[in-house]
Amino acid sequence: MLSRIPPQTLRILALLFVLVAVLLFFSTQVPNYLNGRLFNRISSSVAIMALIACGQTLVILTRNIDLSIGSVVGFVAFATGSLITHSPDIPPLVLAAYSILLGACFGVVNGFFVAYARVPSIIVTLGTMALFRSALVEYSDAKSITTNNLPTWLVEFPNTQLFTIGTFQFRAAFVVAILVVIAVHITLSRVRPARKLYAVGSNPEAAEMSGINSKLVIFFAFVLAGALAGLAGFMFLARFGTITVVAGLGFELKSVAAAVVGGVNIFGGSGSVIGALIGTVLIDLIDMSLVRWQLVSEFWREAVLGSLILLSVAADAVLMRRLVKWRVSREKKDAKPEVQA
Amino acid sequence: MKNIFKLTAAAALSLGTAGATLAGGHSVSLTPGEDINMVLLPKFLGILVFDQANEGAQEAHAELGNTGELLFVGPTPENSTAGQIEIMTTSATQGQGAVMLSNNAGDQIVPSAVAAQAAGTRVVTWDSPIPSGEGEDVFVAQVDFGSIGTVMADMAHSILGGSGQMAVLSATPDAANQNAWIAAMEDALKGEKYSNIELVDIVYGDDQAEVSYNRALALVDKHPNLGVIMSPTTVGIQAAAKAMQDEGMCGQVGVSGLGLPSEMVSYTMNGCAPEFALWDFRDLGYLTYYTAYGLASGQMKGEIGETFNAGRMGDFTIEEDPGRPGSSRILMGDFTVYNSENVEAASK
Amino acid sequence: MPQPILRLNSISKYFGMTKALSDMSITFNSGEVHAIVGENGAGKSTIIKIMTGIHQPTSGTIELDGKASIMTGPQAAREAGIVAIYQEPMVFPDLDVAENIFISDNSDGLLMRPSEQRKRASALIKRIGIKLDPSRIASGLTLAEQQAVEIARALSQDVRVLIMDEPTASLSAHEAGQLRKIAQNLAGQGVAVVYISHRLEEIFEISDRVTVIRDGSHISTKPIAEVTSDGMITEMVGRGFSKYFEKATSTTRDEVILEVRNLTLEGVFENISFDLHRGEVLCMAGLVGARRTDVALALFGIMPPTSGVVKFKGQTAKFTTPRAAIEAGIAYVSEDRRKLGLAMPMAIKSNVSIVTLDDFLSPLGLLKSEKERKAARHFIDSLNIRTPDVETPVGMLSGGNQQKVMLAKWLNLNPDLFIFDEPTRGIDIGAKAEVHDLIRSVAAKGGAALLISSDLPEVLAMGDRILVMREGHQMSILKHSEATQESIMLHATGQRQETI
Repeated sequence: MLSRIPPQTLRILALLFVLVAVLLFFSTQVPNYLNGRLFNRISSSVAIMALIACGQTLVILTRNIDLSIGSVVGFVAFATGSLITHSPDIPPLVLAAYSILLGACFGVVNGFFVAYARVPSIIVTLGTMALFRSALVEYSDAKSITTNNLPTWLVEFPNTQLFTIGTFQFRAAFVVAILVVIAVHITLSRVRPARKLYAVGSNPEAAEMSGINSKLVIFFAFVLAGALAGLAGFMFLARFGTITVVAGLGFELKSVAAAVVGGVNIFGGSGSVIGALIGTVLIDLIDMSLVRWQLVSEFWREAVLGSLILLSVAADAVLMRRLVKWRVSREKKDAKPEVQA
Repeated sequence: MKNIFKLTAAAALSLGTAGATLAGGHSVSLTPGEDINMVLLPKFLGILVFDQANEGAQEAHAELGNTGELLFVGPTPENSTAGQIEIMTTSATQGQGAVMLSNNAGDQIVPSAVAAQAAGTRVVTWDSPIPSGEGEDVFVAQVDFGSIGTVMADMAHSILGGSGQMAVLSATPDAANQNAWIAAMEDALKGEKYSNIELVDIVYGDDQAEVSYNRALALVDKHPNLGVIMSPTTVGIQAAAKAMQDEGMCGQVGVSGLGLPSEMVSYTMNGCAPEFALWDFRDLGYLTYYTAYGLASGQMKGEIGETFNAGRMGDFTIEEDPGRPGSSRILMGDFTVYNSENVEAASK
Repeated sequence: MPQPILRLNSISKYFGMTKALSDMSITFNSGEVHAIVGENGAGKSTIIKIMTGIHQPTSGTIELDGKASIMTGPQAAREAGIVAIYQEPMVFPDLDVAENIFISDNSDGLLMRPSEQRKRASALIKRIGIKLDPSRIASGLTLAEQQAVEIARALSQDVRVLIMDEPTASLSAHEAGQLRKIAQNLAGQGVAVVYISHRLEEIFEISDRVTVIRDGSHISTKPIAEVTSDGMITEMVGRGFSKYFEKATSTTRDEVILEVRNLTLEGVFENISFDLHRGEVLCMAGLVGARRTDVALALFGIMPPTSGVVKFKGQTAKFTTPRAAIEAGIAYVSEDRRKLGLAMPMAIKSNVSIVTLDDFLSPLGLLKSEKERKAARHFIDSLNIRTPDVETPVGMLSGGNQQKVMLAKWLNLNPDLFIFDEPTRGIDIGAKAEVHDLIRSVAAKGGAALLISSDLPEVLAMGDRILVMREGHQMSILKHSEATQESIMLHATGQRQETI
């Protein structure tokens, strides 16, 4: 029964509904649209952003924001590429662990300044965004990582087909991203300390009063976001092969957009990484479909993309309100009137 | 030979206006050993081609025995526009003799560049000019934007075997140099030789790997009979080549455009990007430095028709920029087309 | 056989140069309900914060079970079994009821079992004696329900000292009664209950001992049997006191200023109809959930009604924004001063001038700060606001003084209609009388007042007429002469309804 479904799940249902609506709309506009190829395109393309949006969501849940996340992705991608270029024999898992750890280190920097030095996160990460990027410029010495220097296993990894359902190919990068998102989702909803992320973002004062170590919670949110950005950097390297100093530029805002479209409250406390994943898919789908839509010229694409994102957020909000209203009226009918005196 | 042709063309152009400056058409030989501080300002730091340009400029700096300083400073990638304006302003207040700018700020750079000129700093652009030409002394063009069109059309012709569909994957919709090159290619395609080549689409990858990659895939989805993706940007061409390789479509769709040999070598060797072109960024930095040195030391006036000697590269003449009437340019010359025969050597 | 659990020994606390507590010594015994009374600003909040480890005393010691101990922070206090429930419920709006209750409970391991957790939550809620679905999200709860969640959270921990700071301020009479029973029940189980309330009748009902404090100093601690209401009030305010329950003479004039007919906001309230005259105080009474505040918000343009007619000063009024209502001459003093009333981090003077900012601008559009300060000083004097200066951030003031700043901000506007929403909730008896005087003086000057209050003595003392609501319905309008606590409660609980 609908009234038993928690609001977070309702939100995701509303998002999925919007997603289907977008799919149906473009299938009437773009020839040869709904097929396995579309799935393969979107699934490989969202793999990286889904991880970043997932990390961003963790931070946003605590009423913070991480604007340095794109720079972290870029730096990690470059550093990982540099490492494997010089030591091609490093085993895959060690290399991935290196990326994740390196990303987490950047998260430690952000987390320290936000949680313990009490500098607002927007200021800290605006600073570290430039700082990490400059560090990359310095570190790269204007050299690029190129595909031909990378081991074959790394370059082939993202596109390895693990299994197929019909014409839908499930490639390694996508499957890894989905598994990570699901793992984070289960952690957030079922592991007790993770619920504290929600508590801290929901009501920081009450969290403090309840004996929750808010500083530690916020610190961990940044470290985890850094680690996820690190993993995304690894995937970025594997997928694009060529890494320059602009790698990951603009990811910070894309990830915020994906999270917010996915129903994560920008003021903290509510939202889910599954929502952020669907938000990523929705933005990517609209973006990719617009390129194939003859009606919209290239110069208007960004504007149309922005409008469609706003429209889908609005549609989602309206749907959500309808569902909640319907649920409340159902609850009223179900429950006997409560007499209070 | 080409320079001689240019010389006469330029002479003919400016005959009516400033005949005196021609002075028999002989070229200015720059006196070395002046003390001039100069700034080389790339779009942003951390990109190979800009570092190569810096190497060229340093070479010229040493050659001319400039006792002043040559600074290579640029903004970080996420702060390109604002950073360029800031560096331009700072250079003026520091009293730098010249700023050599690869403009990434469009006309937004104009006020600071005009102010720099007013403060006595010469502004020489290279790689990418100031669109309006305001605040700019002269633009050192890597290649003739007209000839780039022909070169790209020729590469497409060769990959397609004479007939088929082509699409363009560019940088951003407002990138001045890319737009000029695409226009030139569209012009060239009108020729008889290319009558069976159809330009079906132009898309923009924002000069970012992931966007360009996705755009390339969208192109092949949208146009099932596509034969060539032409990308006049180093980021776009390699992302497109990687996308085609990942999807196993290299036999069907060839990638071409402007690329760096070191980044493209594997794609050229495996057939994903059979041909691409580029000019030498070291030469571009070298020539830009000579121009800026000449102007800042007062040995050159920067007038149209003026000819000067740029060391190992020979004589060059300032002419009106055909793409930007009222502005002047110096044309560096040709570019190299790379294929499986010469790319490996160039990538070392 | 009450045993001392927690003892404060000569505690003093300074904030910078400001003295909050001086030489405060109180002993709290197990099995006792120990009431602390005092005016707002007397130092009650500071005592609580010191006991719960949020503040450290400047001097003095805390003894727990006879051993000196230092509460290094909320966590340490909680581990020692000292839990506080505050006047403003501290819930996590985005979490469900069960998660709220068990947020800092780690007893069932790392993994949560939501169904198990909900079962345990249900059991606790049952002990409080209200109905509440543990899977509901806290943001949809009423204040009373949020309060219940907080109490359940405290119950879930091994409470030894339970501090209740104005816990019943927002509860209905029935719920407040239940809560008092729970407090006594806990005391019966050996818990030391520290009970802070402005409702004196509550204190006489449940407490074993009463401590009176004033201006940060301890005045007296006595068994309840030795205390009288008058004596307690005298000790609290330092002077005699008599005005509170007197009904002032009505200043109602003939002119109708507000005419409301069949005002309806679908799904919230319906068919509200009344007239309000100049010089009149109309009280709106009802229990929690009666939707009185929603009617006020509809009149003020925040939640435009779906149907019905409102005439203000003879003209049909359809306010869709607060701005429009303010321009027409309506002021709304919110019950939620944190969220809707004050800009807490801003100075008093800035809060006072914020509604009428245009009056404080020079011809160039710049803020005349001297004029702003002057206006603020005027209100500090006339409303007796206790503050070092006009630059002090409102968030630093005590609740009663914050309330006065909020009133000052609207008085500046000289409105024709004043809507007061629970203006005296959680403020002390002295400040309460001052607020009542202020409401009467607004009416005496020809303004009209709509006063929403859950405090029945207040309703009876202030209302020329009393409109009783229940669950979005208008139950009756009682004249002052026919209203008693009993008659109002009968209507508010739906035992009786008049057709209007």
